[in-house]
Amino acid sequence: MASRLIRLVLLVALVAGCAKQPAAGTAERARPFNAVDVMFLQMALAQIADGSQVAELAETRAGGETATIASELKKQWSVEDGTMRRWLLGWQQPLTADPDRAAHAGHGELHRSRPQDLEELRATRGRAFDRTAVSLLLGHLGNCVETSRMEQAGGAYPPARTLAESMTTGHRDQIARLLRIAALG
Amino acid sequence: MRRRFALPVLTVAATAAALMVAVSPASAHGYISSPPSRQANCASGAVAGCGDIVYEPQSVEATKGSTQCNGGGSRFAVLNDNSKAWPAAAAGQTVTFNWVLTARHSTSTWEYFIGNTLLASFNDGGAQPGATKSHTVGMKGFTGRQTVLARWNVADTTNAFYSCVDLNIGGGGTTPTTAPTTAPTTAPTTRPPTTAPTTAPPSSGTWKAGTAYKTGDVVTYNGISYRCRQGHTAIAGWEPPNVPALWQAA
Repeated sequence: MASRLIRLVLLVALVAGCAKQPAAGTAERARPFNAVDVMFLQMALAQIADGSQVAELAETRAGGETATIASELKKQWSVEDGTMRRWLLGWQQPLTADPDRAAHAGHGELHRSRPQDLEELRATRGRAFDRTAVSLLLGHLGNCVETSRMEQAGGAYPPARTLAESMTTGHRDQIARLLRIAALG
Repeated sequence: MRRRFALPVLTVAATAAALMVAVSPASAHGYISSPPSRQANCASGAVAGCGDIVYEPQSVEATKGSTQCNGGGSRFAVLNDNSKAWPAAAAGQTVTFNWVLTARHSTSTWEYFIGNTLLASFNDGGAQPGATKSHTVGMKGFTGRQTVLARWNVADTTNAFYSCVDLNIGGGGTTPTTAPTTAPTTAPTTRPPTTAPTTAPPSSGTWKAGTAYKTGDVVTYNGISYRCRQGHTAIAGWEPPNVPALWQAA
């Protein structure tokens, strides 16, 4: 069974590589999603993974409103994470984008949090911790909004577009609240 | 059988499509969050009617060298609108500016200006910023309502990111919705300015930002009289000694 499937995949890959098949065109039209949907879900999953680590620390160590926002984000992200994985698995798409892929040209990495950023956050104490957490969350949510707006503009799968819309609205509200905290110094 | 056949085809097609979509949706990088920059005041809702900037305060990217709040780019012209009610944060002679970064680009310099006066420049020598970025900058004797223009010069592109911060130096905040910023408690994270300061005029005299001046009007500024060469509405940064195109010593 498995070997038959492998042979089938090989055959299809060969066929797809050699000539345009009418069958492929039909499948393309029948697809409920497009490349932007896939990219949105893959990027959002990576951003959720990054953001959750900051939110986890901020929820327990930051004060008042910052901790409230962090805990809100954690809950929201854990639900979204499940939905996004389910869609990608259902579409037989990888959960992560290939980091070597030319489409990213190494640029995407600049928008990810690095291990040393979390180390810096962990090392701070008191008000400096709050300031660092607010700043990291703001930068992170800024990237999240760009990703969800990309889906709103170019995605094809209606439930993903709806999810992106609510993510944009929710994150913009959290950004506004975090900016008001930042303004207090 | 037919159904099973369709799935790999679909995967191949999707991968091919993903490879062809070379859009880089995340092009934005950073802005000043405190004291709040103009784009931060838009994104926080403190200022209304800002347009698209509310979605991406980090995106004020333009060619290096501009002295405009939007960097002279084609977007976000609202940031240059000095008639808008931008709140001015209360500040002393030393201000700590905190940045929000959405991408940690290797950096040549961070520059801070009031008008044409360079307040400070921090040279990162191509290093990538850490988790956060903040600079403590002296106001060189400027007082009253002033607009500080900050430029983040990226090392490996021709672009910079722009943030304008409205301050009320040596006074109280101008809007009840924005609480005054507290005195900086952190030490500067980068080395002190490497560029020699230019003149630091204290703003005394009859010249006032926000006033509409006609050609021929005479004002005093820092003990010197100036005659207006061209009608304009004055803004912070256009102090007579800073803009010879507008003012001539009388």
